[in-house]
Amino acid sequence: MINIIGYKKFWLAIAATLVLASIVFVTIWGLKFGIDFTGGSLLELRFTGERPPVSEMASNLASTGIESANIQPVGEDGMILRFKTVDEAKHQEVLKFIKEKFSGLEEQRFESIGPTIGKELRTKAIYSVVIVLITIIVYIAWAFRKVSKPVASWKYGVIAIIALLHDVLIPIGLFAILGKFMGIEINSAFVAAILTILGYSVNDTIVVFDRVRENLIKSGGDYRDFEGIVNKSINETFARSINTTLTTLLALVAVFFWGGETVKYFALALIVGIGLGAYSSIFIASPLLVVFQKLAKR
Amino acid sequence: MSKTINKVKNFLSKTGKEVFTNKRAKIWWSVILVLVIVLLAGVVDYPGYYDKGVDWVKAKTGIGLPHAYNIPFKLGLDLQGGTHLVYEADMSAIPNKERGDALEGVRDVIERRINAFGVAEPVVQTTEAGDSQRVIVELAGIKDVTQAIKMIGETPLLEFKEENNDPPRELTAEEQKGMDEYNKKAKQRADEAIKKLKDPNADFGALVKEYSDDTSTKAVGGDLGFISKDGAYSSLWGEAEKIEVGKTSDLLETEGEINILKLSEERETAKEVKANHILICYKGAERCETETSKEDARKKIEELKIKVNKDNFVQLAKENSTEPNAAQSGGDLGWFIKGAMVQAFEEPAFAMKVGEISDIVETQFGFHLIYKADERAVKEYRVARILIDKQIKTEILPKQDAWKYTGLTGKQLKRAQVEFDPNSNAPQVGLEFNDEGKQLFADITTRNVGKQIAIFLDGGSIVDTDGDGIIAPGEVYAPRVQDAIKDGKAIITGSMNINEAKLMVQRLNAGALPVPINLISQETVGASLGSESVTKSLVAGLIGFLAVIVFMILYYRLPGLLASLALIFYATVVLILFKLFHVTLTLAGIAGFVLSVGMAVDANVLIFERMKEELKLGKPVGSSVNEGVKRAWPSIRDGNVTTLISCLILFWFSTSIIKGFALTLSVGIIASMVFALLVTKTFLNLVAPWIKNTWWFGVTGKKN
Repeated sequence: MINIIGYKKFWLAIAATLVLASIVFVTIWGLKFGIDFTGGSLLELRFTGERPPVSEMASNLASTGIESANIQPVGEDGMILRFKTVDEAKHQEVLKFIKEKFSGLEEQRFESIGPTIGKELRTKAIYSVVIVLITIIVYIAWAFRKVSKPVASWKYGVIAIIALLHDVLIPIGLFAILGKFMGIEINSAFVAAILTILGYSVNDTIVVFDRVRENLIKSGGDYRDFEGIVNKSINETFARSINTTLTTLLALVAVFFWGGETVKYFALALIVGIGLGAYSSIFIASPLLVVFQKLAKR
Repeated sequence: MSKTINKVKNFLSKTGKEVFTNKRAKIWWSVILVLVIVLLAGVVDYPGYYDKGVDWVKAKTGIGLPHAYNIPFKLGLDLQGGTHLVYEADMSAIPNKERGDALEGVRDVIERRINAFGVAEPVVQTTEAGDSQRVIVELAGIKDVTQAIKMIGETPLLEFKEENNDPPRELTAEEQKGMDEYNKKAKQRADEAIKKLKDPNADFGALVKEYSDDTSTKAVGGDLGFISKDGAYSSLWGEAEKIEVGKTSDLLETEGEINILKLSEERETAKEVKANHILICYKGAERCETETSKEDARKKIEELKIKVNKDNFVQLAKENSTEPNAAQSGGDLGWFIKGAMVQAFEEPAFAMKVGEISDIVETQFGFHLIYKADERAVKEYRVARILIDKQIKTEILPKQDAWKYTGLTGKQLKRAQVEFDPNSNAPQVGLEFNDEGKQLFADITTRNVGKQIAIFLDGGSIVDTDGDGIIAPGEVYAPRVQDAIKDGKAIITGSMNINEAKLMVQRLNAGALPVPINLISQETVGASLGSESVTKSLVAGLIGFLAVIVFMILYYRLPGLLASLALIFYATVVLILFKLFHVTLTLAGIAGFVLSVGMAVDANVLIFERMKEELKLGKPVGSSVNEGVKRAWPSIRDGNVTTLISCLILFWFSTSIIKGFALTLSVGIIASMVFALLVTKTFLNLVAPWIKNTWWFGVTGKKN
């Protein structure tokens, strides 16, 4: 049997450090939001000929009146240009202009989202995260309504939420870093990933708690070795937690590497969040259970 | 090794016995049911392979099996290419309570324009977000997005037009001069050609090459093949009749062209007959307008039959025949060939001798007497020609429109509404014009009493007049003006139901109160990027799938293998669900499906881990299976419920592309629960009695 509870301070310290670091990154650098939240235009190009350097593209765009465009080379022969919201006429004008400048250029994708739509999506995204969180708290409270000794049922819920916050804060921190250094944006797909992480990661936590509950019942009301019971429960569910996560991660890793540019970072957010979900259920939720119980005893 | 073989032998011999026990039979039936469902699902998932198989079987054995029911996957815009447009309607000029109808009008106008564009399954929806009223347009697989955006965004144009009876204009002096010169040159060339043809050594074919303007026959010496009296060259046929075989004609000049013909062959193809007839029709016969009863008509024709002879036939026809124009034509039908007349008439006409008068003949038109005036063979002539083109006036003048601009447009229309006829209660459409429109409409209706006024929206008919659901370019909706309307209030009546009237009102109002629309969001994906994405996601899906399978088999051994089998079945069935429920597959949606494959295994993992625990406690395989499933179920349920909650909210929250993710993931999760409970359990139960060594279940050191 692996002694996980024994090293609980170590596990919790790792998690706390990562969460704190994430919060710091987000506060310092902020998040880089995609055009679906801010409004703006995105033009993806492919060059069948030679791909021009970013600076050349930038100066050409500037001469059509598109200042401060964000230009990013993608893959072997692609390029993504991001700039302010433009209407269709301007879009055509810009496209025509750069087509004349650079031969062998093809428009792959164009999105232009007005500021109103961006604002709406932003509001909706916030609402949906809040609603998911509330629904999950309610669900956990309901699922653990019958357990009260030696840890009150609401505490299971609180712990599950702490674990969840850990699961989503770290990916957000990671995207703050990615946004700062690689220009990766937070878009509605990222929000979808966060919501999925919320829904999925709580599974693991519930399974471990379930087992604790079962073992507590088996112990016949003898809670003296609460730590031992929790540790036993973790060990019993250990393989299962790792394996379910592993199979899901295998599928997601395939999407990350081979699924194409559009879903790459969506898959990355899910990989990180779901991986953390397994970590949090084993190394955070259960140790916290013991911590809460000890606090209550005092 | 030999031990394993013994085990295999052992369980093979055992199955024979056990199949017939009640419980085993039930398991076997479940397995067979699962296999049948999966097989059927597979056939619909990949109809191509199945159909090829069916064709092969048919070719080899002659047994014809039905082809698969082919439902294509519905691909999202990001996979097949296309555009997603969101328009905001500017309703500032529209009173509050009319905004809903106005928005419907905008939607309808956009839909009409898109239909003219020919996009498969376009989506045009209205939606409200707060105060803003929007129209969402999705065009999949469209080539020219720019053009579509341009067309959709234009303000609708409603026009009232009157019949155009203006004579075509005269040619300008310059045009006339140009035409005369062209025709003069044509005449000169024709004269030259005919002069050369007069030479006894002249070669007609060479002259065709030199002079003919008929490019399609130039290469074959001007040969038109056999021409018939009623074919494409009937006017030339008349000329060819006058030429001897092997000879050429003179210049044959008409308004538009000059021909020189050469007759190379002639042949007889049929007989034709020239006849007169007397018709007495009666009430109820086709095309008959008299009130005469059938009895009276019969009496009349019988009287005539007695009186009639070769010499008075035409006179009697003029006096008695009910055929229109008989008084002038004397019942002359001219030359006609077989097939031109109804059979009852034709048979006696061709059977009779020239100069005879027939018995009474009855057809759907009434009673006839027929006089056969002549009979001759019909000939076809094989001719070659030199064509010299001339210009005519209509070639130079632009084609005249059938409908003329009146100056009355949607701008002068105040509003349209559905009304009901006070007497018949039939729905009708009421129009009300503003002051300027009142004056214009009064003028137009005054000069067009008894004539039609056509209504056009965006240059096409305002409604679908022939009920085929498409407004074709030539279609026109034109109510007739009954009286001059001076008060600016018109009513369009006619056979329309309430929905048709509503639609017309909506469109009239869309033209009367144009609602400007602004494009506030555009997402366009090129087709090449789309198909690239399809390939990529397929590859990613397959790799993910294989990785999961390899892991499961390595870690869980036999159950892992069974779970992989169940996973393959799972994927097959989920894909069929996507097809059956027309789930739109997007990139994120496919990612959701791949994710669901990873998650689908979760339930199996939970069951296996529980099962292993039971096995470790030394329980027999069979009961471990059941216990494992039973005890894993609460965790499976709880875990999936939370993910489903997230999906539900995602579905509410997001854009169509993310919706695809939420949908595929939910379908996947629900299916995975069903599969874990039914399929994996059934398989485990099936193999449980065969396995005595728990090594197969990943538990070492314990034997049953």
